[in-house]
Amino acid sequence: MNPVLFLWLFLKASLFSTGGLSNLPFLHTDLIGLGWAKENDFVTAIAVGQVSPGPSGLWSVSLGYLIYGWLGAGLATIALSLPPLLVLAVSAFYNRMETQPLVRDFTHGLALGVVSLTLIVSFQLAGSTIFDWRGVAIALGALALALNKRVPIILILALAALAGYLFYGL
Amino acid sequence: MMTDRPCPSLWELFSTFLILGIQSFGGGSSTFILIHQTSVNRGWLSEEEFVRDYALSQIAPGVNLLKLTILIGNRLRGRSGLIVSLLGLLLPSAAVTAVMTAGFSAIRSQPVVQAAMKGILPATIGLSLAMGIQMAAPLLSGANKEGPFRLGANIVIVLLAAILMAFTNISPVLVLLMAGAATVPLLALVPIQTKQPLKGDAG
Repeated sequence: MNPVLFLWLFLKASLFSTGGLSNLPFLHTDLIGLGWAKENDFVTAIAVGQVSPGPSGLWSVSLGYLIYGWLGAGLATIALSLPPLLVLAVSAFYNRMETQPLVRDFTHGLALGVVSLTLIVSFQLAGSTIFDWRGVAIALGALALALNKRVPIILILALAALAGYLFYGL
Repeated sequence: MMTDRPCPSLWELFSTFLILGIQSFGGGSSTFILIHQTSVNRGWLSEEEFVRDYALSQIAPGVNLLKLTILIGNRLRGRSGLIVSLLGLLLPSAAVTAVMTAGFSAIRSQPVVQAAMKGILPATIGLSLAMGIQMAAPLLSGANKEGPFRLGANIVIVLLAAILMAFTNISPVLVLLMAGAATVPLLALVPIQTKQPLKGDAG
């Protein structure tokens, strides 16, 4: 396996995607095509990415580890960390234009769209994570606790884990 | 720039993002919520600044939370701030991800772990809804001060964008850009009505 090509493929996937699983199609086509990865590697990597700490985009670090060991995990991490730096250019451009009412209204609209996106993604994820009334109860409990900003998130997650164990583990 | 913004040391930035990265089990939503809660509660960013940084993150390439972290680090301590924040978030959680990959089959088969995950995943939905509500609050209360028609116009944009995202295959990035583009003429058409009389001329 060629480490430079490996890094380039992961870098390309990160450069043409905007997070989450959107780099999946690129990596899938390239790595399956080269015979470097198997379908099962992708399934495992995505599952680990759902559970492991940090951004869910880190699933490709798991994939890198599966097909190329620690070197693969390291190269995948480098490939993930470089393209996001371009956001500095976007932000610098925005700061220069911020005083224009047109630009202000445009970003106000972007921010409103982000609210819609957050709500819609929540409902879409609910379809694959909530299966019964117990799941609904846990989600509503977490919502109520989280609206009080003083409750630490880690405590909410710990309570949810405990609830999961009591509901489903006994 | 707010002048009363706290100025955390590079070490505080690094350790905060490190702890945040490794305690956010359950994937990206819990990481996102932790970044939101930590940076708003510590006064690093206002709710409006957070939403704006996240909106800008959406229109650049790469993992959104890494872009958000870069913008927050850069806001607080410039170039060195963004580097330590990014490394703090990324390195430990990437290492834990690789280790978990190595032990995945052993962990996955544990019934206790499975049951706990069945509790954690629905909770991330609740957390993510709470964050949507918290991000919407300053935008809508700001619009409300500009009169009921302005508030209505803002709600229309949120609903239209939500409908497009839920019922079409249009890329979310494109829908965000459309929301931005639609807001410009809509706000130009709907006048601001201030409730209090404007500061009038003397006399």
